[in-house]
Amino acid sequence: MARVYVSSIIPATTDQVWDRIRDFNGLANWHPAMRESRIEDGRPADQVGCIRNFKLQTGETIREQLLGLSDYDNSCTYAILESPMPVTNYRATLSLLPVTLGDRCFAQWSVEFECAPTDLDAVTKRLTHDVFQSGFDALKRHFGG
Amino acid sequence: MALIAQSTVLPAPPEDVWNIIRDFNGHETWHPAVATSLIERGFIADMVGCVRRFRLQDGAELREQLLALSDADHSFTYCLLETPIPLFNYIAHVRLLPVTDGNGTFWEWQAQFDAPEGQLDQMRALVGDQIIQAGFQAIHTLLGADGPSSTPQHHVAQVHE
Repeated sequence: MARVYVSSIIPATTDQVWDRIRDFNGLANWHPAMRESRIEDGRPADQVGCIRNFKLQTGETIREQLLGLSDYDNSCTYAILESPMPVTNYRATLSLLPVTLGDRCFAQWSVEFECAPTDLDAVTKRLTHDVFQSGFDALKRHFGG
Repeated sequence: MALIAQSTVLPAPPEDVWNIIRDFNGHETWHPAVATSLIERGFIADMVGCVRRFRLQDGAELREQLLALSDADHSFTYCLLETPIPLFNYIAHVRLLPVTDGNGTFWEWQAQFDAPEGQLDQMRALVGDQIIQAGFQAIHTLLGADGPSSTPQHHVAQVHE
């Protein structure tokens, strides 16, 4: 089992950041690598179990299922059903914690998955930089960091 | 019951911060409120269940017991056994998480406790300011940072009376 973990400090309150990232169908609104998202079968985006079907800017399609959403913990857990990446058993969590000194937000994105040893470096790099850190950079820019 | 949860970000990796705060008997070396400390019965300070007996700068003597210690999670939990201050059922939890973006540390310190009617606000200020904030500031200074460049929030606590 491989694990990737990326975390950052966003210059906004936890509530503000959560408002921006909570929508499971809203990835394309804040993440520069994503576009054209929809929820399959017309289900609401905060219905646990719903599936988002979206495209990367590269045109590749990803389908992910919402496994857990918590307005209490400010966290979202999801699994990949289909993706161009050579991974299996991919389960990720994006979560927020308040930094009470300074009204900032500590954001964590972690994932566990399996893949062939020969693919591990490339997948890890892609997730670390193109998905997770790039998402956090976009949030920091949005909130003026 | 009062629950105080405060957090800060330090400009050093968790391993460096953990090296300073892990020692359950080491708070006399870094926390400004603590004058002297010893572990009772000759136990070692990372033995879960050990009790630290320490004096504050004002002479007050307290005893606290280590309930959990994890090098894997960079966390520890302890409770207050004896104190001259009206703090009851006091349990505190400290954990460090890595901030990979910039190689820093997110440090969270929580305490929950009861206090007599009418003294809860005073106890909340004491725990929040003189224990937690003072501890944060001391480690910021030790690490050579100016300190949290921000306005402290004193009322992040959720209080259920």
